[in-house]
Amino acid sequence: MINDKNSQKIVDIIQNWARKHSIWVLAYGTGCGAIEIPPTMTSRYDAERLGVRGAATPRQADVLLVTGYLTTKTLKRVIRVYEQMQDPKFVIGFGSCTINGGMYYDSYNTIKLLDKYLPVDVYINGCMPRPEAVLAGFGKLQEIIAEGRANGAQKYKDNLEWYKANQKKIIPSLLTTDYNW
Amino acid sequence: MDLLTNILGAIATIILAFVVGMSYGGIVRKITARVHNRLGPPWYQNFIDAYKLFGKTTAIHHGWMQIMGPAFLMVSSVVTLMFVPVLNNGGWFTNLNFKGDLIFLLYLMVFGPLGMALGAGQTGNPNSAIGVTRGLSQMVGFEIPWVMALVALMIQFNTTTITGLMDVQQMSGTWLMFSSPFAFIAAVLAMLGMFRYSPFDIVGAPTELASGPVSENGGKFLFTMMSSGSIFSFVKLTLYVDLFMGGADNLIILLIKTFSIYMIPVLYGIVSPRYRTEQAIRFFWGWPLFFGILAILYAAIF
Amino acid sequence: MKDIKAKLTEKIKASFDTVSEKDYNGNRLDFHVDVKIIPQILTFLKVNLGYIHLSHISCVDWLEEGEFEIIYILWSPVEKLKVFVRTRINREKPVLPNIDMIWRQANTYEREMREMFGIEIEGLEGAEEFLLEDWQEMPPMRRDFQTEEYAEKTFWSREGREDAIDVREEIIKRSREEIPDFAKKYSR
Ligand code: SF4
Repeated sequence: MINDKNSQKIVDIIQNWARKHSIWVLAYGTGCGAIEIPPTMTSRYDAERLGVRGAATPRQADVLLVTGYLTTKTLKRVIRVYEQMQDPKFVIGFGSCTINGGMYYDSYNTIKLLDKYLPVDVYINGCMPRPEAVLAGFGKLQEIIAEGRANGAQKYKDNLEWYKANQKKIIPSLLTTDYNW
Repeated sequence: MDLLTNILGAIATIILAFVVGMSYGGIVRKITARVHNRLGPPWYQNFIDAYKLFGKTTAIHHGWMQIMGPAFLMVSSVVTLMFVPVLNNGGWFTNLNFKGDLIFLLYLMVFGPLGMALGAGQTGNPNSAIGVTRGLSQMVGFEIPWVMALVALMIQFNTTTITGLMDVQQMSGTWLMFSSPFAFIAAVLAMLGMFRYSPFDIVGAPTELASGPVSENGGKFLFTMMSSGSIFSFVKLTLYVDLFMGGADNLIILLIKTFSIYMIPVLYGIVSPRYRTEQAIRFFWGWPLFFGILAILYAAIF
Repeated sequence: MKDIKAKLTEKIKASFDTVSEKDYNGNRLDFHVDVKIIPQILTFLKVNLGYIHLSHISCVDWLEEGEFEIIYILWSPVEKLKVFVRTRINREKPVLPNIDMIWRQANTYEREMREMFGIEIEGLEGAEEFLLEDWQEMPPMRRDFQTEEYAEKTFWSREGREDAIDVREEIIKRSREEIPDFAKKYSR
């Protein structure tokens, strides 16, 4: 009864509904984007009414918000943060820097394509995206969570070698740890 | 039959405490949002959060003590709940109580945080360690006026049971809030620290300490802490109502009374920034302590 | 200001011979010196003349001339004068004397120069890696380092953008802005 397919489906629907309405974000303020988070959270745009709320540590967060350009050095830290998060977890790429390099397209130490290194569920474009765009991004994320299509974490697990190879290419000293110390 | 009623009553009490505590948490978030001129989450947001946290995988393992920490917290909340009579005239909600349970309760209420401190210590996160030291220092701060208030009550009415104090109020018809006002003031000031709303949220300061002791705990750990926190806040509120506001005859009155007393730390918290640790301790060892001493003198003389 | 500058030049010239100065408007005065006397002249400025504050050390890559130019910017809170001490070193084998015993904070600048331009600083302490991690190419701030090529090779580009049109000319035409020739070469 419990392992029956239909009841599993019902459980999934309820769980996805809960996940959709309770998004705890870890805003990793790497770039200019960090400045758009406070207006999104405070009284003007009030993301909390959608259930979006800041989380203090990666252990508690559901969504990793990569706000802007990532240098190779920060990428290392972001990867560690991402791997410390607990399933189910999602990534939102924020600003054109994460999409195609943006204005840092020819920089020697800024990555261009975030989705080569981490599985991105939703991209929000703009340089900088305004809070409306950020909220629209959260709306999109909620949509795909409700439909059960936000499976970036699963993708990361399945294609771990490919991701690790890409990460190792620019960070040769990257260590693979299991974060259980 | 008696045993069965007791067990069922206990379970009903736990469920009630969970639901009421969680809803209060949600309502507080709503009120905070309204004060900030925001719309705020719905009042049942905390239930959604709790369910989501419960549904998360938990692949963190730092050792057994980390798992024991939240369990300690839960156990201590539930056991404390068992010793606090929820309603005046018994029925389903009288639980265990015996002579001297007020003193026992004083010990029990610090048991959970201490367990949590051990658990947080094992995670090895420096933020946890700082949070724990802060939490324990703050506890040293507010426990003193709180204990003094309770001791004053014990001296004044010659009883060490909660039900005894409730009987006193029913017999005389006045709430202890009025018949021993200084103890009430000291206890309310101590309550500000007990609920850890700002300005006394120095333990789990989210940006400063990355949520302090809980920073390494996600998923089911956090769920356990959240629910035990809700239960514990319900217990504390009920205790205050029992001790100072004459208890409650039925659930509606209980909800009204607990909610109104809950608003004291909440509303004070919304408009205050955060204290530093030493400021918090200085606060508790100032006026609250003074009122505590006054309460004891009052009790001893009258 | 004029006489402060004149006095300063006089004092410097009296103690060091291979120095030429260039005056600027406002509170700025430049000295072009030889690399060998850098520690001496800086010590002299700090100890004897009261230029106690090292604001900045900067490095310019003169690719065409095959030289690096190092500029030490000093400031005196008493005379309210900025003194630029400039020196040029060979680009092929760049070696610079260490001055972090004169100003402790110079250490940071020197480590950055060592990393970003590949300048060897004699007797400099501190970890070899400063801002970059795992860097294997030529120092990235040298002008003959091809950043765009390197970025292309290392970080890939988003596919489907190959037909992007260069709209610089159009923008210039529309905004009716005068763009100087040298800027056209670099900026985009
Ligand atoms: S997309 Fe624009 S605003 Fe955002 S980080 Fe990049 S440069 Fe800054």
